[in-house]
Amino acid sequence: MTTVVTGPDSGIANTNGHYDLDPELFGQFLDPLRKYSSALYESPQDTLAQAQEHKLHYVAGRLGLTGGERLLDIGCGWGALVLFMAREYNCRTLGVSPAPRQHEYINARAAELGLTDRVDTTVGHFERLDLPARGFDAVTMLGSIVHMPDLGEVFGRARRVLRKGGSLYVSESCFRNATAREAFDRRAGTEFVRESIFGWGDLRPLSALVEGAEQAGFSVVAVDDLTEHYRRTIEDWLANVAAARDRLEKFAPGLTDQFTRYLEVANAGWGYTTKHYALVCRNSR
Amino acid sequence: MNPPTTPTDITDITRTVADIAAGEIGGGVQLAADTDLRAVQGVDSVKMLRMIAKIERAFDVELEDEDVFGISTVGGAAALVEQALRERV
Repeated sequence: MTTVVTGPDSGIANTNGHYDLDPELFGQFLDPLRKYSSALYESPQDTLAQAQEHKLHYVAGRLGLTGGERLLDIGCGWGALVLFMAREYNCRTLGVSPAPRQHEYINARAAELGLTDRVDTTVGHFERLDLPARGFDAVTMLGSIVHMPDLGEVFGRARRVLRKGGSLYVSESCFRNATAREAFDRRAGTEFVRESIFGWGDLRPLSALVEGAEQAGFSVVAVDDLTEHYRRTIEDWLANVAAARDRLEKFAPGLTDQFTRYLEVANAGWGYTTKHYALVCRNSR
Repeated sequence: MNPPTTPTDITDITRTVADIAAGEIGGGVQLAADTDLRAVQGVDSVKMLRMIAKIERAFDVELEDEDVFGISTVGGAAALVEQALRERV
């Protein structure tokens, strides 16, 4: 089932349609789950597909999932996490994102996998959704908070929808520190990614995310550095994009080069200007 | 690249750095030690970072942040590499 919530609001950023492009386009270079965020490689031999499954099990571990939890995924993409947690952990999941075509895809996949009774989606911006207070055991945000301008609103709402003792998992690409943010926020590469690819996105240093979590009343229980995993993920995507050039160009001429440029910009900065962190918080004192 | 065969003489370091920089820029570009890399057609901050990452890997050194973001010539990068190699010994 998909619910649609629309309407103007302040403090909400609209991405420019990148995520609402044909889901089949992303199928050309993502793993079979179409997870559009960092994988987690456990060995040098891991394929992208294996590493994305490792990552989802790692997220489940960080959330302490044991089976049957109610889970909210904010910025659910093509449903990799909501479908996986429903299938592997018997969770009841709700995926939220503003891109309608993602939901059509997720609903079709849920039907194929026999998961329609456990997987719901809502089209809309999390910051303005009316979700039940304390209605979830776990909340996840993988690479989505970068598109949300108001951190206080996001963390505050995330805490309100979590039961007492529930967990929040946020992984995000961050500026390495405030100095890097000042030096690079308006550079050509950063501008290209923000304006040409996403329409809106604001990398922040990890400290800004930690501050947002603290202000909302969360306890921070873990921070993991996943930078090298994202570098390798993007190397795998780049290889897939190159191999899929002919098919990608049929979606839109020039797309291969645009994706390549975006992914190369992202991978050039790791460690120098950017990091990728996972932040795990608990709704507890 | 194996550390034992890594050049430590400034002339050799400069040549290796120039090869890496030219490879990253592409198009058979000719670079002198004092060429302003940031002024070369097609070079932006992303290319500069990719170049520096390759140089650090080739010599197995980690340059200081304040130096990394200030590099503008092959000679400048080579001098920083030589210094880093000397400090490592």
